[in-house]
Amino acid sequence: MKFRAKIVDGACLNHFTRISNMIAKLAKTCTLRISPDKLNFILCDKLANGGVSMWCELEQENFFNEFQMEGVSAENNEIYLELTSENLSRALKTAQNARALKIKLTNKHFPCLTVSVELLSMSSSSRIVTHDIPIKVIPRKLWKDLQEPVVPDPDVSIYLPVLKTMKSVVEKMKNISNHLVIEANLDGELNLKIETELVCVTTHFKDLGNPPLDVVFKCIPIILASESTHEDRNVEHMAEVHIDIRKLLQFLAGQQVNPTKALCNIVNNKMVHFDLLHEDVSLQYFIPALS
Amino acid sequence: MAAMLKCVMSGSQVKVFGKAVQALSRISDEFWLDPSKKGLALRCVNSSRSAYGCVLFSPVFFQHYQWSALVKMSENELDTTLHLKCKLGMKSILPIFRCLNSLERNIEKCRIFTRSDKCKVVIQFFYRHGIKRTHNICFQESQPLQVIFDKNVCTNTLMIQPRLLADAIVLFTSSQEEVTLAVTPLNFCLKSSNEESMDLSNAVHSEMFVGSDEFDFFQIGMDTEITFCFKELKGILTFSEATHAPISIYFDFPGKPLALSIDDMLVEANFILATLADEQSRASSPQSLCLSQKRKRSDLIEKKAGKNVTGQALECISKKAAPRRLYPKETLTNISALENCGSPAMKRVDGDVSEVSESSVSNTEEVPGSLCLRKFSCMFFGAVSSDQQEHFNHPFDSLARASDSEEDMNNVCCRKEFNGSDAKYFCII
Repeated sequence: MKFRAKIVDGACLNHFTRISNMIAKLAKTCTLRISPDKLNFILCDKLANGGVSMWCELEQENFFNEFQMEGVSAENNEIYLELTSENLSRALKTAQNARALKIKLTNKHFPCLTVSVELLSMSSSSRIVTHDIPIKVIPRKLWKDLQEPVVPDPDVSIYLPVLKTMKSVVEKMKNISNHLVIEANLDGELNLKIETELVCVTTHFKDLGNPPLDVVFKCIPIILASESTHEDRNVEHMAEVHIDIRKLLQFLAGQQVNPTKALCNIVNNKMVHFDLLHEDVSLQYFIPALS
Repeated sequence: MAAMLKCVMSGSQVKVFGKAVQALSRISDEFWLDPSKKGLALRCVNSSRSAYGCVLFSPVFFQHYQWSALVKMSENELDTTLHLKCKLGMKSILPIFRCLNSLERNIEKCRIFTRSDKCKVVIQFFYRHGIKRTHNICFQESQPLQVIFDKNVCTNTLMIQPRLLADAIVLFTSSQEEVTLAVTPLNFCLKSSNEESMDLSNAVHSEMFVGSDEFDFFQIGMDTEITFCFKELKGILTFSEATHAPISIYFDFPGKPLALSIDDMLVEANFILATLADEQSRASSPQSLCLSQKRKRSDLIEKKAGKNVTGQALECISKKAAPRRLYPKETLTNISALENCGSPAMKRVDGDVSEVSESSVSNTEEVPGSLCLRKFSCMFFGAVSSDQQEHFNHPFDSLARASDSEEDMNNVCCRKEFNGSDAKYFCII
């Protein structure tokens, strides 16, 4: 198993650092999947995570000018590593004005992801900073749990409002109740509701717009029959999910920068699926309904 | 006339003073105010006696500086000088010197003076429009400690801009306990020291290599790798933000203390940190102060028991002035605390010419399950006296030389005056 990659472009490095920061806020421990074309940060829906799952994907050629990997075997040309997300983001943070950043898989006493940074300095010699991040190699037999989650057929699909606004609203609501209802309809309306014995608070977002079906389902071919079913439905009918507010807040807190695209798919009483695009990096985040 | 201190500072001087206090607070929860003709020294030592900090403000730093010591005449014409013995708690002082930037801007003058009759230190801030803020803080009567460390004979000396140190420090998390400094004549490396946490699968190991041309001064006598406490390193960085002088680092082999200094004419700061001794550099010579990690407790006790302490492996600072009592109570608490930590026995030989307290101090936080006590090298402390102009010119395998019996003879008379209680010397091994 081998992995070796290098970033020399400052903008790419900053973008990669931001992605890593976001992952660190979303998941304490996550899986890094390395394949010839992509890097994925994965959180699978174990009970330990409260049923939340995450799938983040980036095309390696958008970031690295050198990228070499050799997977577990020829047929399974992939590497799955488990690491503490914060270790990676902290290491990348020290690479602010780097001339070059190298990441490679090493084995120094135990398996590590070594991040090596060549920093610009005043003098002729550069400073070299190295971080050895301990990792765990995930065996082949566990890979099946770490595959891309299937996007379920949503009842409602809607573009999200400005995430910063959503976050400040949810932050205040958290003080009142842990149980939040997120509901939306095909008329561009999204509501966040909390309810206790004493008080009921609802925040209404309007005119958000609903994405067309081909955006929602991406490359999956659309069957015309189902399309007509959608049109028959009352556009004002709300699909809703009851979720743990803290999970939503964690997701929103991870979004430091406003994404290029942000939409939300609701499966009535089952789950809410957030689908974001940060420039060229896609992030999918699934929050299950409270049982 | 009692021993006293009185000084006046401007707003910007208060900022430097406050930074000094903040820097020292990284080492200990208490510090001494120690005025002398050299200036006002703030001194502190940490609870495990493995780090010592001293910031000396020269008399010209202040707008006004006045101090005095009490001189006791005795028949033998051996006057004894009683300096101010003032120890303050950081908890009381830190809140007073908070928001240093706003203090610098808003105060016209700051006055600090002592009232020995009431064991109080008074700190007054004078603002515009006649507003005055006064703090009265009780101090504990306590003899300051001082470390004797000759920087000039260190094999390795570096001088760096604080910026470099700040850049290095961000590499490590605040949970990092120790860092290792590795130097060769050509380069410098600061790295996390994870010796014991090799088993912990979550610790990131970080290193930074810096070329020698980034240093203001780079003189390395021999390839060295020393390990010391990270938290205390941050202390001097705090202080360096107040001055713009470079930081000098003086060190030798592992086990021997490391000194970090800032000297900008008006203020001189010294932080002496113990370093981890490794087995290779363990003493074969009796003069050495380092003990290996693997030395068993029983060995240590046996070695010390029954031997005449003077002139032996443990060396003491010889004193020309009258010996003082140093924290008799505190010594005891230290001993008991250390014994509870499982350190080897403290050996105190009562009534001897030079008493030696020896302690093996384990690292501030022992890694659970670790069998070896990590030991830091020795530092010697002596009572501060008016004749502290002694200059030790020793070959550098020891910090201080053994006390000679002749010198102590001179002090016999004085000792009697103090009920035969002698200065106690602390050694940290």
